[in-house]
Amino acid sequence: MIRSRRIALALLLPGLALLVGGVLAPALTMLLSPPRVSTGEVFDRLGRMLSDPHDLAIILRTLRVGLTVTGICLVLGFPTAYLLARSRSRWAGPLLALAIFPLLLSNVVRTYGWLVVLGSNGVIGQAIEGLGLADEAPQLLYTELAVVLGLTQLFLPLAIVTCYSAVAQVDAGLDDAARGLGAGRVRTMWSVVIPLSMPGIAMAATLVFAGSVTAYTTPYLLGGSRQTMLATQLFRYSGVSLDWAAASATAVIMTTLVILIYSAATVVTRAKAVTR
Amino acid sequence: MKRSHPLANTLAVLGYSVMIVPILFVVATAFTEGETLAFPPEGFSFRWFEAAVDYEPFMEALVSSLQLALVSTVLALAVGIPAVLAIMRGRLPGRSVVEGLFLSPLILPELVVGLALFQQFMLHLELDNFRTLLIGHTAILLPYAVRVTGASLALADPTLEDAARGLGASPWRTFRTVTLPVLRPGIISAALLSFVTSFNNVPISLLLQSRDFRTLPVTMLDYVQQNYTPIVAAMSTLLLAGTVALAFAAERILGFARIFGGINR
Repeated sequence: MIRSRRIALALLLPGLALLVGGVLAPALTMLLSPPRVSTGEVFDRLGRMLSDPHDLAIILRTLRVGLTVTGICLVLGFPTAYLLARSRSRWAGPLLALAIFPLLLSNVVRTYGWLVVLGSNGVIGQAIEGLGLADEAPQLLYTELAVVLGLTQLFLPLAIVTCYSAVAQVDAGLDDAARGLGAGRVRTMWSVVIPLSMPGIAMAATLVFAGSVTAYTTPYLLGGSRQTMLATQLFRYSGVSLDWAAASATAVIMTTLVILIYSAATVVTRAKAVTR
Repeated sequence: MKRSHPLANTLAVLGYSVMIVPILFVVATAFTEGETLAFPPEGFSFRWFEAAVDYEPFMEALVSSLQLALVSTVLALAVGIPAVLAIMRGRLPGRSVVEGLFLSPLILPELVVGLALFQQFMLHLELDNFRTLLIGHTAILLPYAVRVTGASLALADPTLEDAARGLGASPWRTFRTVTLPVLRPGIISAALLSFVTSFNNVPISLLLQSRDFRTLPVTMLDYVQQNYTPIVAAMSTLLLAGTVALAFAAERILGFARIFGGINR
């Protein structure tokens, strides 16, 4: 125990100063009154964005992509996490490491692979052409599908790791008990394992959704200018056209989305904790 | 008892394919002899690896990224570890609020943080871009330092520290001989995660680059947009090899899964 409150505060202060001065205060200033424009202009621009069909399309695309990626990551990630957590095979450890490893790798490196797979002389396009399914290799890059695939690759490891720690906390004996009482594999999964690992699943969904709606590298490389998302739009306003009001308004929308999903997840996991 | 279901197996195989196959394509195309990015690669050569190592912007940016990642990791730990001790061992009012504050950079979109730093520090205070990058990277690494070292501190029994103090050890001696050994695996994990996070960061670095100091991921991203040569595939493969080496080192020191267990706590 640190007995003196003064010492505790002194230990806390440098980190707190860095956090507040280095991130929180600048972010708040930018969202509410960015340099060279007034708060009124930001909110004016925000209002126009929420009514302009072009801007709305970008917001909706970001949401749609975020939800799709979250759905795919849970459908692929949860069973994988379950198999890894329950397996007694000696391959379980290395396979878990293989799922975690991509998290150490740059998004640029991971996303770049899709250029090879989906590009104009990419593998999939050539295969479709070679099999005679189409006269010409179809353009797969710069489509929403490309962005969804890229983001799924990016966030699946996170979904697996998060679900893995949730499943690992559920006593494997409960699975056996359910099976022993006559429940099938699917029923055991559906009414025992999934409900008990719900907080982890909610956390995985939150991390994947928040990551997908704010990711920059993947929509930039795989979506290009045709599949603008909020993040690429934000960079265009701030890095290219220097439209600070629009950049701040976009930042407000992005931040609101992320805070909303975190709040929703908190409510879900709290409710879960209360009912148990 | 057999627990797996054919459907679950299929989904897992699909998941692994999505995660790993595109990376294998990057490695395969890096060895091409041809001029463009294509699969299957034409011939076999190391020419694009030579080109990547000879390409000065990449090598300068690599050095910059390594410097930035190293300094911001050290800084994040230097301010993060005392903060963890204060949060978990100090009897402070509003402890959960303070803890939440330290985790808050995880919630703010990084591009938003990058834009904020650009406006406040570079435009407004006219700080150079290395210092601005350092503030930004250190701040987004703080949650890792706090969460991962906090998780290992939670395993330590505080009464041991009290016992040491009771036996006459000074606070510093207690920290050094009792607390620190428990914290060590957490600190190594936090350092590793922080280093990798900073080294790979794009959104914070994107708006803060200048001609004097550019990070590698952003430089590669710019290059991809202008050229379609396999040089980026070669550079990516080199980074991949470096990361594999780091992962093996981490596995030897601590165990890989243990390091990443800390993220989710």
